[in-house]
Amino acid sequence: MFGLILRRLMASIPTLLAVVFLSFFLMRFAPGSPFDGERPLDPETRLALDAAYGLDQPIIVQFGRYITGLAHGDFGPSLVYRDFTVTDLIWTGLPVSLLIGALALLLAMAGGIAIGLAATLRPNGPLDCRLMLGMTLLTALPTFVTGPILALVFALWLGWLPVAGWGNGAPVYVVLPVLALTLPTMGAVAKLTRAGLAQIMTQDHIRAAQGRGISGWRLISRHALRPALLPVISYAGPAAAGLLTGAVVIETIFALPGLGRYFVQGALNRDYPLVMGVVTLYAALIVLFNLIADVLYGWLDPRVRG
Amino acid sequence: MTAVLDYRNVTVAFEGREVVQNLNLAIAPGECVALVGESGSGKSQSWMAPFGLSPGVAGGEAYLCGAPVIGADAASLSALRARHAGFVFQQPLTSLSPHLNIAAHLTEAFTQAGAPLPDQDMLIAALADVGIDRPAERLQQFPHRLSGGQRQRVMIAMALAHRPALLIADEPTTALDATLRREVMDLLNRLCRDRGMAMLLISHDLASVAHMADRIIIMHLGEMIETGPSDQILSHPASDYGRELLAATPRLTDPIPVHPVIGPPLLAANEIAVSFPMPGWRRPPLQAVADASLMVHEGEAVAIVGGSGSGKSTLARAIARLGPCDAGTVSWRGLPLPPRAKMRPQDRAGFQPVFQDPVASLDPRWRVADIIAEPAHHLGRGATRQFVLSIMAECGLTPDLADRRPQELSGGQAQRVAIARALITDPAMLILDEATSALDVLVAGRILDLLRRLQRERRLAMLMITHDLAVARQLCHRVIVMDQGRIIEQGDTEILIRAPHTDISRALIAASQ
Amino acid sequence: MRRLFNALPAMLVLLILVAAWLLPPFLPWDYRIIDWDHVSSPAFTPGHLLGTDNVGRDLLSRTLIGTRITTMVAIAAATVSLLIGTLWGALAGWCGGRIDNVMMRIVDALYALPFMFVVILLMVVFGRSILLVFIGIGAVEWLTMARVVRGQMLALRQRPFILASEAAGASPRFIIFRHALPNMAAVILAYLLLTVPQVVMVESFLSFLGLGVQEPMTSLGILVKEGADDMDVFPMALMVPGGVLVTLVICLTLLGERLRDRWTA
Repeated sequence: MFGLILRRLMASIPTLLAVVFLSFFLMRFAPGSPFDGERPLDPETRLALDAAYGLDQPIIVQFGRYITGLAHGDFGPSLVYRDFTVTDLIWTGLPVSLLIGALALLLAMAGGIAIGLAATLRPNGPLDCRLMLGMTLLTALPTFVTGPILALVFALWLGWLPVAGWGNGAPVYVVLPVLALTLPTMGAVAKLTRAGLAQIMTQDHIRAAQGRGISGWRLISRHALRPALLPVISYAGPAAAGLLTGAVVIETIFALPGLGRYFVQGALNRDYPLVMGVVTLYAALIVLFNLIADVLYGWLDPRVRG
Repeated sequence: MTAVLDYRNVTVAFEGREVVQNLNLAIAPGECVALVGESGSGKSQSWMAPFGLSPGVAGGEAYLCGAPVIGADAASLSALRARHAGFVFQQPLTSLSPHLNIAAHLTEAFTQAGAPLPDQDMLIAALADVGIDRPAERLQQFPHRLSGGQRQRVMIAMALAHRPALLIADEPTTALDATLRREVMDLLNRLCRDRGMAMLLISHDLASVAHMADRIIIMHLGEMIETGPSDQILSHPASDYGRELLAATPRLTDPIPVHPVIGPPLLAANEIAVSFPMPGWRRPPLQAVADASLMVHEGEAVAIVGGSGSGKSTLARAIARLGPCDAGTVSWRGLPLPPRAKMRPQDRAGFQPVFQDPVASLDPRWRVADIIAEPAHHLGRGATRQFVLSIMAECGLTPDLADRRPQELSGGQAQRVAIARALITDPAMLILDEATSALDVLVAGRILDLLRRLQRERRLAMLMITHDLAVARQLCHRVIVMDQGRIIEQGDTEILIRAPHTDISRALIAASQ
Repeated sequence: MRRLFNALPAMLVLLILVAAWLLPPFLPWDYRIIDWDHVSSPAFTPGHLLGTDNVGRDLLSRTLIGTRITTMVAIAAATVSLLIGTLWGALAGWCGGRIDNVMMRIVDALYALPFMFVVILLMVVFGRSILLVFIGIGAVEWLTMARVVRGQMLALRQRPFILASEAAGASPRFIIFRHALPNMAAVILAYLLLTVPQVVMVESFLSFLGLGVQEPMTSLGILVKEGADDMDVFPMALMVPGGVLVTLVICLTLLGERLRDRWTA
């Protein structure tokens, strides 16, 4: 198990380097500059600024410097939020995005698996059909449709919850964004659980267990559930990544001070270090999520442990 | 004495279609009854549906240890199965839950009839009883670490752990390696006799159950054709179907067949070696075939026999340039064959393969006539419909099949199509990779007849891969025995069968008896 | 009744597509033209069946044009992903061994990209154009298709009929195009149908962030964004484009899943 983790971490290094490389050069070859404001700067200020941030150096040198900084955990200065380093910005934004993403992931997994199980108890019964149609509906509802609708109903009409804002993470402010983010993923998890169980229930080892007189809930929980969750776990890694990046929209709708908004702003303003910092961080997080999913997979299925 | 299992006019229906009709049987304690039939005979459904293990609907009356089985609700039926019956299935590889270790499986089996939790020693004893080596170690292992034979032994230990009155074994050895079948059958036999347990044995192979069953029931298309003591059925079957079934199974005791005379050398393979990379880090590659040489003459049939994993198919594919080949040379009529990637259609025309799974070896989207004509198409000469039809007729296919697709054919018809395709280039040799082993007994017998006729009429040479020496003996002049990638013995078929030199050969002979 | 229910998704998709492509010229108000007399008017206002938005443009016209743009982008992007994905996956699956390994490693690495961010980056860097929107989306969405096709190819390669064709003397090209691809066409079609709603979602997502198509052009995502901005006073502006978007995505998903389940079972 330890060897597996180590090997996966080693394998992720080229991926991360590729991400850094790609985003770095993509940003640099784009037209426009971080210092293009409302009115053009005079050439001297411009040159001074470029020199101050090292933008007058050959591009290879800049890249080398950036990588060196990265290896020391330094994402460099923000070019637009002039008084902050990228690390500062990440530290203010990441907790918000991470909290919302993690809560949504937990809710989606727990709710989705429970709904999938409930649907499987009576396959093709009325409950099953209705639940699965409902779940398809959820997966098809984009967060930017559900978000405003939830806000409309619970905040504006019923007045139970605030419309938007962060309120320093007070629970009432977190409910709606998390809910909007949860729903599509929950639908997908429920459908995967249902499909996984339906497939496992026709397999030989289930019939063998039935032959031993095991039935009902015990059959599902002991013999079917763990292998049936394998597709859910493979989905969970990318889903976690999706929730994190999907939070961009949620943060916009509910006006949350998360990382996604810094990213969109940074991209629009050509704030190279900020954009690259966020992309690199997210790529690292995605690698981490996939690693966790792999470890879980090994726990569920002894065959991959070798 | 009351019967352990008592069937009275049992029927099984699927979506209103009856697959089992009016089955009557009674198994006394300690008795072994074999239910024999081809696929589609309803032999498996006749126990799965009444016991609630398939979606089929059972009618009539059935009693297990005096308690009604048909009509019982799911919960009491489940309890009844747990208490009185044990099951051994055909698929040992997939019948254990992959995420539970052997100890968990056995514990579940011990307690299924309400017994207290077994201790470690009982579990170890149960494994030792079914002939598993190092039982204490195995308890903590997961099913995927065990071989097919070991898994089937674990299934047997589980089926017996709660001391059931009845053991139902559905094709318990069919999925196992040929060299193991006899052993597992004998194990089942011994355990049943020792414990005075009744057994219902389901099989497609009349010969293989003959020595262990007290009585045999032959089923065909859902109906019981005949029943009686096994020696009587084996020596004087009363029904035509029974006689046919018996005659279709080749046995080593059949009269010595006469093989056609052979000509000059046709194909020579020299020091063939094949290895496969293994998954994982720095694991050495698996040497599937090493240092194998063989020769086939014109009109000569040569069998390569061996257990699964012995490398016999890999060797044949390497020779036919249909699989990887690391080293060695193959010459055809004295000229060397190019490597796989450089083979031209005309290089391949002289020898054509026929595979095990007949339906899977035909493209499901093509029509029969196009499938048969494909090799001629690649040769650039094509084939007229007239010619295709004449080849089809030679293989026993009627012209109306020409425009069908593979899924509309029976297994036997599909295999005839595959043979017709192999013949369209007028080859000098066929490579038969277990060409009859996926077919039902009667169908396999007829395919074997067809092959023998083609061998005579076309003076075809054959390279035949099989695990069944009795089948090989029907066609082949010579036999090559392989084990772990090496040729360990070869010689004239009759001589090798009478006087084998190696244990592997002896095991293969025992399995074919 | 049941048959009608089963046919419903296909019929709805068809209805929406036909309306979006054929109806706009026959509507009294063009999607760009501002009706100064009716700003934020409710449904059934004369000339505006579904009302107008907050600057007085006809909501029905705008929704239909938005649907047209969104579906166009979706189909184009799905085609891009189909072409790249099928070729990449078929090649990797056919070659096997080291080539397959390297090709799939690349796919794995791309999967680890925060892909939404990459699309956003592309939009920002190269400026917004419809062409770029769908190239960007298609270039990301092909990954799943490549995996599916490779998996199918690997499974098919094991099937004896492929080997039989090789034994018959067929060239690799003949085998891939005459035996392998026709046998996975159904699966590819099913995943293509499932890709389309994904692309619809991504396109709307981008438009919603203001990175998709530009005014006065419109798309379902932009309309939803505008609707969400003043949903408290005029919910219709959110409900209409949102409803079309959701219906389209659900129906396509249902269709794709049904096909996939039928052909992969």
